[in-house]
Amino acid sequence: MYSKGLASPMAFRKQHAAEPLGPLEITVMEILWAHGESNVHDVMQRLDRPLAYTTVMTTLDRLFKKGLLDRRKSERAFFYLPILSRPKWEQKRAGEFVAGFLNGSEPSGEMLLSCLVDAVGSYDEALLDELERKIRRKRRELRSKA
Amino acid sequence: MILAYDLRLVSVCLAFFFLAHTALGLIVSWLALRAVRLAARLRPASAARLLLTLRFLPAGLALFGVAVLCVPSYLKFELDAGMEDVGLAWLAVASLGLTIWVVSIARGVTGAARSLRYLRRQRHSGREMRLSEGLPVWVIEAATPLCALSGVLHPRLVVSRCVLRALSDEELAAALRHERAHLDARDNLKRLCLLMAPGVAPLHGGFAFLEHHWARFAEFAADDRAVAGDAERSLSLAAALVQVARLGSGNWTALETRLCADGRDLEERVDRLLQLAPPVDRNRHGQAVWWCGAAVGACLLALLLRPASLYAVHRAIERLMH
Repeated sequence: MYSKGLASPMAFRKQHAAEPLGPLEITVMEILWAHGESNVHDVMQRLDRPLAYTTVMTTLDRLFKKGLLDRRKSERAFFYLPILSRPKWEQKRAGEFVAGFLNGSEPSGEMLLSCLVDAVGSYDEALLDELERKIRRKRRELRSKA
Repeated sequence: MILAYDLRLVSVCLAFFFLAHTALGLIVSWLALRAVRLAARLRPASAARLLLTLRFLPAGLALFGVAVLCVPSYLKFELDAGMEDVGLAWLAVASLGLTIWVVSIARGVTGAARSLRYLRRQRHSGREMRLSEGLPVWVIEAATPLCALSGVLHPRLVVSRCVLRALSDEELAAALRHERAHLDARDNLKRLCLLMAPGVAPLHGGFAFLEHHWARFAEFAADDRAVAGDAERSLSLAAALVQVARLGSGNWTALETRLCADGRDLEERVDRLLQLAPPVDRNRHGQAVWWCGAAVGACLLALLLRPASLYAVHRAIERLMH
């Protein structure tokens, strides 16, 4: 039920290292590593759960801004490609994790919680708009039934 | 190094704890992903309980081993009450045991102190009001959007003025019911226990995965409790979540439970609320499993408390110590 897109403990530790990646971002990266250059529609079709176009588009854009993806425009759509191969990316992340650990920057319980909340601030408007639309739709359905 | 009888007992307890805790911690870490998958099939409250139990299991069992095996075997079979030589490796292991406790307790005390300071600051700047359902709430004038439960022993609902302005009456009521559910579940106390529970190794948590998913299921459980199966309340809470997320967030203390504690789970929480029906608990044999576990534990305890078992433990500790 909730296990869809569940990151493993290893993936979890990686995403909480220097540059955090969300479960959806990791899933999208895995799709791009497996299938190569793709646009938003290609990624949507390969996801294991249905997601809104804007959600996938925002995720790809966020990965692009984090420097993990390269993109080119073809006609009216962007095509995304991972900059690093999966082994190279894992090697880089492992290096960052070890460096963080040796520098004593492994977050304590308090720091960890603080970081998790910071993620709320980074929510993009597109996703929040999408969620609000869903709520309005559901409210209308409920009222029409009543 | 030569140690007196009492100090040897302390070193035995610390080293035994460290070895048992590390071994159990590694097993729990290995089982964590499976446990989270299993938890996803349970009701959120049961799932949170399961993950919390698993998180505390290594420390609980290791302490139990110290109390039931280590200390009795030492007191019964350690005949030399004078000074005795102890190996450096054993002392190093005992030091690691001491370190993980010192680090954990310091983390807990720091978290509690920060929380207390924060509450005091709010007391000066805030104003107590009775909002929906007559709940006493501190309204603060902070620019940071806040709708939280803060504190451990006497937790307080804290709402900032900008959240009051942004939420409708129904949304605010749903948000406060959500925080009230955290209060009833004593989630802040559990957070304090998590801060004080030792990690697998000194300066390294190792249980962050379990703790993250415990927090996630605790949020789901609070959502379900706040909504109580009512479709309108579900929609109001979902709308409140999105509104608060839109307002953004700032710094917060470890011992407060926020309406949007983890932004990454926001989408999942809203989707759950829009399903308008709480997930069914498929684990109908939960209580039977607990009783079986208790029975097996009691049998194991009876076996361990036999003099032969205690003597074997003592021999093993003696060999490792020297």
